[in-house]
Amino acid sequence: MTLIKDVAVELAGMFVGDARLTLAILAVIAAAAAICLSGAEPLIGGAALLLGSLAVLLDSVRRGARSQG
Amino acid sequence: MTMTWSIAAPALSAAFAASLVEVVEAFTIVLAVATLRGWRPAALGTAGGLAVLGIAVAALGPLLARVPLDALQLPIGVLLLLFGLGWLRKAALRAAGVIPLHDEEAIFAAQSATLDATGPRQLTRLDWAAAMTAFQGVLLEGLEVVFIVIAVGAGRGLLLPAGLGAAAACAVVLAIGALVHRPLSRVPENALKFGVGVMLSAFGVYWTGEGLGVPWPGQDLALLAFVPLFLGAGIAAAAMARRPIMEIAR
Repeated sequence: MTLIKDVAVELAGMFVGDARLTLAILAVIAAAAAICLSGAEPLIGGAALLLGSLAVLLDSVRRGARSQG
Repeated sequence: MTMTWSIAAPALSAAFAASLVEVVEAFTIVLAVATLRGWRPAALGTAGGLAVLGIAVAALGPLLARVPLDALQLPIGVLLLLFGLGWLRKAALRAAGVIPLHDEEAIFAAQSATLDATGPRQLTRLDWAAAMTAFQGVLLEGLEVVFIVIAVGAGRGLLLPAGLGAAAACAVVLAIGALVHRPLSRVPENALKFGVGVMLSAFGVYWTGEGLGVPWPGQDLALLAFVPLFLGAGIAAAAMARRPIMEIAR
């Protein structure tokens, strides 16, 4: 049972290492999907996805440094 | 769908670098078992871990082959973004000195202490506790390798180059490990993780966009444009994270 639990923890940790980062990424993807599905130019959704992901990374590292400092 | 070098090369190199990191970590655990308890339980645990991973790949491979590529791109892209940005965040924080670097020598010492605590070496019969330690190490680290190979490979029929990248990483670690018989602490693990985080994030944005119907300019070549953007953002993030620490130190 411990092994199964360890495998489950490992699998979950691969994608949800930091809950706020995970939620922020999912929010960016949802926003990009909403743009693409709204009938707007899909490339705008793509740009939102790319720029949003870069912004999420910068913010997450900044927050991580602050919380450790 | 034709395989282009512009997309096969990043898949192969991402799988190679990511697998190298994971295989080094698994090797440290197996080496600790082998050094303290002998090669028999280490080899048995490793073989068991590889067998379970092989079964997982054999079961998942045919299943994935039945799913249309278009249906795979969005879920795989999302998982790659979650995984890649997570690695990149951690690598940037480690590069900035905010969190400590991964230390294979320390992990080796910790594993050795854990094995010591389970009792003396058994010379006459198989040491199941030691074999389970090796099995667990190979299985847990191997799961990440399997995910990375599937994630960077399945989105556009690139399982072969991605699998070759992972196999090459295993071969390199085994060859060097067999020569030096020590934890591979000189492997620039954080730099590799940084690079892998960059590539997986770029793949993640690319596949997620494809899954959402985004017509990326230059098609596959867009992937190569995303790499320097994530690299630049990662370096900037690490520099930004370093600054508050310097201010605190002052």
